[in-house]
Amino acid sequence: MQLKDPKPTARGTLGASLTVATCALLGQTVPGEVMAQELMPWDVDTSLLIYSESDGRVSDTSLNVRARKEMREDKFLDLTLAFDSLTGASPSGAVPAGNIQTFTSPSGNSQYTVAAGEPALDTSFLDTRTALSAAWEMPLSRLTLLSVGASLSDEYDYEHTGLNARVAHDFNDRNTTLSFGVALANDTISPVGGSPIPLAPMLGLGDYRNKGGDGSKDVTDFLLGVTQVLNRHTIVQFNYSLSQSDGYLTDPYKILSVVDPVTGVPVAGPPGSGLSLYVFENRPATRDKQSLYGLVKRDFGGNVLEASYRYMTDDWAVDSHTLELRYRWNFGTEKYFQPHVRFYQQTAAEFYRTVLFNNAPLPSYATADYRLGEFDGLTVGVKYGQATARGGEWSARVEYYTQTGTPAPGSAVGALASYDLYPDLNALIAQFTYKFGKR
Amino acid sequence: MVRLVFGLAACAAAALAFTGCAGVEPWDRDVLARPDMQIVSDPLEAATDEHIYFSKEASSGGQGFGGGGCGCN
Repeated sequence: MQLKDPKPTARGTLGASLTVATCALLGQTVPGEVMAQELMPWDVDTSLLIYSESDGRVSDTSLNVRARKEMREDKFLDLTLAFDSLTGASPSGAVPAGNIQTFTSPSGNSQYTVAAGEPALDTSFLDTRTALSAAWEMPLSRLTLLSVGASLSDEYDYEHTGLNARVAHDFNDRNTTLSFGVALANDTISPVGGSPIPLAPMLGLGDYRNKGGDGSKDVTDFLLGVTQVLNRHTIVQFNYSLSQSDGYLTDPYKILSVVDPVTGVPVAGPPGSGLSLYVFENRPATRDKQSLYGLVKRDFGGNVLEASYRYMTDDWAVDSHTLELRYRWNFGTEKYFQPHVRFYQQTAAEFYRTVLFNNAPLPSYATADYRLGEFDGLTVGVKYGQATARGGEWSARVEYYTQTGTPAPGSAVGALASYDLYPDLNALIAQFTYKFGKR
Repeated sequence: MVRLVFGLAACAAAALAFTGCAGVEPWDRDVLARPDMQIVSDPLEAATDEHIYFSKEASSGGQGFGGGGCGCN
C-alpha cells in the first residue's frame, strides 16, 4: 500500500489564502511565516556615484553600500558604508588678475600658479573619505519606535564622530506620527602644517609662521517632525530642525585677494614672499541654523508625485529656499521612469566678500567661499529603474546641477570689472544603484 | 532652547490639527504600503544627494540630520 500526502482541499487553500490576505491588510505577520522572517537575509543596496564638475574642478567617485536586517522580531540593524575618492581643482577664493598669480599651497610646502585672467583654482586638492554608520531600530511599545545610531568618517585631514537618537510615536489610528531626534557630532580638522591663523597673509614657500594648530567643532542637531496620512493616496510630512555648531567653522584652505580699491589690482604681499597679498578667511565660531521642511507624496493611479520645500535660515544671514519635484511613472510593477527637478536659492553670509580692499579696516570675519555667496542652483535629472528576476532592482540616474552666483556688491572695481568674479558651477551627477533581491 | 520649545509647540499643534483628519483604515493602506510611497523611497539616493548639496551649498538637513562628517564644507 502506498501512502500519499493528502491533497489540499479547495476549502483549505482558500482558507489559507484568506488568512494571508487578512493579515496582509491588517499589517500583521502570518503566524506560519514568523520563522521564515527571522531567517530573512540582509537587504543590501549598493551604488556607484560619479559627480563631476566642468572646467577641471572637483570630481568625486563614491561607492555606497547599505545593509539592513531584521535581527529579531521588529528589531532592525542598519549599516552604511561610503567611500569617496575626490580629485580636481577647488576655487581658492582669490580673484583673477591681469598677470600670472603664484600661490603657496595650504601645506606651505609647494606652490602653484594661475594664468592671467583665469579663475584661481587650487590644484593641490586630493582626498579620500571613508564613512561608516550604524543604527539600531526597535519598538519601545506597540506604537513607539526608537532608533539609535553612530557615525564615523575619516579623511586625510578630517575626522568625524557622531551619535544620534530618534523616537517616533504613532497615534490617531496610526495616521499620525510624531517624531523627535537629536544628533551630536564632534569633528576635527588637521590641515597639513596646521590651520592658518585667521586673516593672516599667505607666506612664501617653506614659511610656516602663519600656521596654528588643529581645529575642532561640536554640532548638535534637533529635529521635530509630524507625518500624516491624509487619505488613501496622500501622505505629508512637516519637520522643524535646529542645528547648532560651535568651534572651528572656518575653511583652512580658503583665501581672499586684497586689491587696490581703485584699480582692482592685487597689492604686494609680505616682503620677500614674492606673492601678492592674500589673506586666509575667518568665520564666526558659532552658527545656528533652523529649517522648516514640508513634503507631500501622492499617488495618481499608480504613479507618484513627490514635492518638497525647505526654508532655512541661520545667524550668518544665509536664507535659502529649496523646492524639489519628482514624478515617478510606473510601468506595471517592473519598471519606472522618474524625472526630477530641484530649485535652490540662497542669500550670502553677512561676512561674504569677493575681495578685500587695501587700506580699508580688516573685518573680523571674511570669506570668499562661493558656497557662502548669493547664488541660485538648479538640478534637472531623470532616473530609470527596473526590477530584477531575483526580486531586487537596478536603477540609473543622470542629473545636471548648475550654480549661478552674484559677487558681493561693489566688488567689480577697476580691472576686476572685466573678469567673471563668480564663475558658474556645472556638474554632472550619474548614479547606478543595485538592490539585491531576496529570491 | 526657546526656539526648540517653539518648534516643539508648533509640531504638537500640527499633530493635534491632524488628529481631526479622517485618516485611513488599516485595510485601505495598500497604496500607502507600496515602497514607492514611503517617505524616503531610496535611502542611498537621498544620502548621496544630501552629501552633494551639503558640500556645495550653505544649507543642509531638513528631512533628516544634515550631512555631517565631511571636511568639504
